[in-house]
Amino acid sequence: MPDDVRGIGASLLRKEDERHLHGRGQFVADVKLPGTMDVAFVRSPHAHARIRGVSVPPEAKGLVFTAADLPGVKPIRVVSHSAGAKSPPWPPLATDKVRYVGEAIAACIAPSRGEAEDLAAAGTVVFEPLDPVIDPVRDMRGSRHPVHEQWGDNLYIEHVLEGGDIEAAARTAEVTVTREFRTQRQSGAPLECRGILAYRDHRLDEVVLYSSTQTPHTVRVALAEILDLEERCIRVVAPDVGGGFGPKARLYPEEIILAALALQLDHPVRWIEDRGEHLLTAAHTRDHHYKVTAYADRGGRILGVDAEIVVDAGAYGLWPQGPYHEASMVARALPGPYTFPNYRARHHTVATNKTPLGPYRGVGRPGACFVIERLIDEIARAVAREPNDVRALNLVRPEQMPFTTIGGLRLDNGDYVASVKLCAELLDLPAARARQQRGELDGRKVGIGFATFAEQTAHGAAEFASRGASIIPGFESCTARVLTDGSVVLMVGIQSHGQGLETVLSQVAAEELGIDPARISVRHGDTESTAFGFGTFASRSMVMSGGAVARAGRMLRDKLCRIGAHLLQCDLAEVRCADGVVAGPRGSVTIAEIAKVAHLRMDGLPAGVDPLLDVTATYEPGISTGVFSYATHGAVVAVDPETGFVELLDYAVAEDCGTMVNPLLVEGQIRGGVVQGIGTALYEEIPYDETGQPLAGTLADYLMPGAAEMPAIKIGHLHTPTPHTEYGMKGMGEGGAVAPPAAIANAVRDALSAIGAEVNETPISPRRVLTAIRNARDRG
Amino acid sequence: MTAIRLRINGAEVAEDVPARLSLADFLRERRNLTGTHLGCEHGVCGACTILVDGEPARSCLMLAVACDEREIETIEGFAGDRVMDVLRRNFHRHHALQCGYCTPAMLITARDLILRRRAGSEREIRDGLAGNICRCTGYTNIVTAIAAAVGEIGEGGA
Repeated sequence: MPDDVRGIGASLLRKEDERHLHGRGQFVADVKLPGTMDVAFVRSPHAHARIRGVSVPPEAKGLVFTAADLPGVKPIRVVSHSAGAKSPPWPPLATDKVRYVGEAIAACIAPSRGEAEDLAAAGTVVFEPLDPVIDPVRDMRGSRHPVHEQWGDNLYIEHVLEGGDIEAAARTAEVTVTREFRTQRQSGAPLECRGILAYRDHRLDEVVLYSSTQTPHTVRVALAEILDLEERCIRVVAPDVGGGFGPKARLYPEEIILAALALQLDHPVRWIEDRGEHLLTAAHTRDHHYKVTAYADRGGRILGVDAEIVVDAGAYGLWPQGPYHEASMVARALPGPYTFPNYRARHHTVATNKTPLGPYRGVGRPGACFVIERLIDEIARAVAREPNDVRALNLVRPEQMPFTTIGGLRLDNGDYVASVKLCAELLDLPAARARQQRGELDGRKVGIGFATFAEQTAHGAAEFASRGASIIPGFESCTARVLTDGSVVLMVGIQSHGQGLETVLSQVAAEELGIDPARISVRHGDTESTAFGFGTFASRSMVMSGGAVARAGRMLRDKLCRIGAHLLQCDLAEVRCADGVVAGPRGSVTIAEIAKVAHLRMDGLPAGVDPLLDVTATYEPGISTGVFSYATHGAVVAVDPETGFVELLDYAVAEDCGTMVNPLLVEGQIRGGVVQGIGTALYEEIPYDETGQPLAGTLADYLMPGAAEMPAIKIGHLHTPTPHTEYGMKGMGEGGAVAPPAAIANAVRDALSAIGAEVNETPISPRRVLTAIRNARDRG
Repeated sequence: MTAIRLRINGAEVAEDVPARLSLADFLRERRNLTGTHLGCEHGVCGACTILVDGEPARSCLMLAVACDEREIETIEGFAGDRVMDVLRRNFHRHHALQCGYCTPAMLITARDLILRRRAGSEREIRDGLAGNICRCTGYTNIVTAIAAAVGEIGEGGA
């Protein structure tokens, strides 16, 4: 790509970098307002207990707020239209009962966080402990003290997804593979924890909430409802956000409480979450149990899959989507991009006395991919074929597109088998196999594993309606404004927190308007300055917000051309807008000159053209079931059978996300996602003990991937633009995190095949590897 | 309250501080130097890394009262520092930052590795970054940027 190209396809360097490289970013905790008081929460030390009383020392009077002190606050309530879905009310401050360790009971305010924590420690809460629900598989049908006692059982929802005839597949199968799989509970763990600053702006008659959120507009929707305010009286601002990855795409009790405190008090209040609170109370993720049987013929062709899926969803449903989508997404994604015709998935979403489960990069897909890709390798082993041959045998082929999987996902296009081949080339599979055969001098075992997946992105109305969602994030918005000097401001309803959308959205506008991206500002994350939008999650912002920017850009371009043609005294059909000018056959006029006419010299406007260069566009992709990126990941590992330690020797990704707006940023998203996926695969875990106490409260217990143990990640691209979006682009933000658990587990299995050990649980910790080896040797 | 005098980014500062105030909170809340970020407040993530008497330190683990007579440098400093300039340019060129939260401390650590001649290979750079967590980039581009900076500085000398 030549350096002078700055529109679609250019690896433009980021606008966002300058401020961050000088420490001039503005995260919530960096916003300073005089008189701000810090908030610390009194949180439940019990997994499950009745609250018998809260007492506050006399000196803390007026500084400690319980639910009784904030009577205008209604409970959080998720609405689902799915049949049989149960939706418990969630009081932002606990009233009669606590249901997980960390649940907020009272808010304490003081001039510093330390003093606020002193207050929180000085109060006394009398609890009557109840039996906690810890094991979702055992307790889903009922327990001595159900999480929500009015239910009788502990099920949020359960459902069967079925296609074809799984019983027939079972009868005709020559090969049957049955396994249990487990993906442990973890955290999304952005480096910036959550944070909120709230104050009342009396001049504008509004409560202003700065929050480290991915979804400022919908947070405002919820605050208005829960606090019984009109939305015009609430402004939500997401300033710089230090990573989100999904957990910050939900409403939290703390946001409601801080807004309620700001309404009640005459000074700003802020709550800056610490890491212990984050690991305890920000959405947990990935907590799945599986029992799955795959049926195949002796050539390795899959006939059907029968799956039992249990999602441990924790104590409450996070607004807006509640706990309902995780398991249904797993069920629908589990068949992957494979063409087998018979399927049954029974899925259960279970309430437990744990932190609520929420979205994290990939949501249900890393688990689904882990299961189906491990099964592919086990089928290959059972029929004595190379796993990638079995993969290719069962993958959808280009001529079958568009193809609807037995899980119900409509794959739009692409060559999935080509991604398998490209990934094997990137890893230099023959060389890796040769190294494996040679053996390591230190006794470690080398293994190679692959995993292929389809990533549903930018899905809209059809997809969310099918999930029973009450809020359907099916479009995005852009207000585009050319100012009097020809510079441009784009105001978008999404929120950028590391993705580089300030850069890529200005590239899109540059493509449409022929204006240098350096003269284009992107405003996002503020309900005051942007039209309604849903925010950044579900790999949607490039496609949806980029689509809205493209549309708004074209609307502006049309108007610039009309005014320009008038000024040039030529026909509209004769002008074109490029390189900062509208050019006609006999000369050109700059966009700055046109902008001046549109605002300051309206006597130059053609008849029938209104002043201003200010438009708002919305955009919904041409297909609302999603456009599908896809990839094959490959991992080479060395496993130490003495210590159980897994080292990543090499990692490669062969992917296709259609048209890349900015290849540099696409690769940044892939690599970042892969390393998060490696964290899921090998390190990250929040175990709970039998009393419901979470055991990972610091980054010393909760291991995040570091530079030292990560490999350089190789990337290869395939290019299949989709016909359903602007420029043929597809979303791709989550895909990197989807396949690493599957590819690495397959590689570990390959390394340990001579021993006969396999690990079907993430993270693949040294202890789990050693247990698998010991069990295999005991069996052998 | 204890009176402390110290130099921050070259300027003399005198303040009374409570005994339990961390250096990070002192810099952020009292001096408004908010480029020093807090990611864990227990010394693991490295986002609060600054220089104390020229050496990298976790400002979340130090108390402000312990900094009497010390020399502090934060990301807001480094004016005219060639290594920092080259690092910043290469972080930008190689897309070595996404959300930007780890970036100031990552730069300070990288500068220290380069000055101590501990960035001579990919292995050395990766090991040297072991105390700084980045959740966004996957590290590849950070390592590339630092290696490129080393190359550039090597040609012209630090």
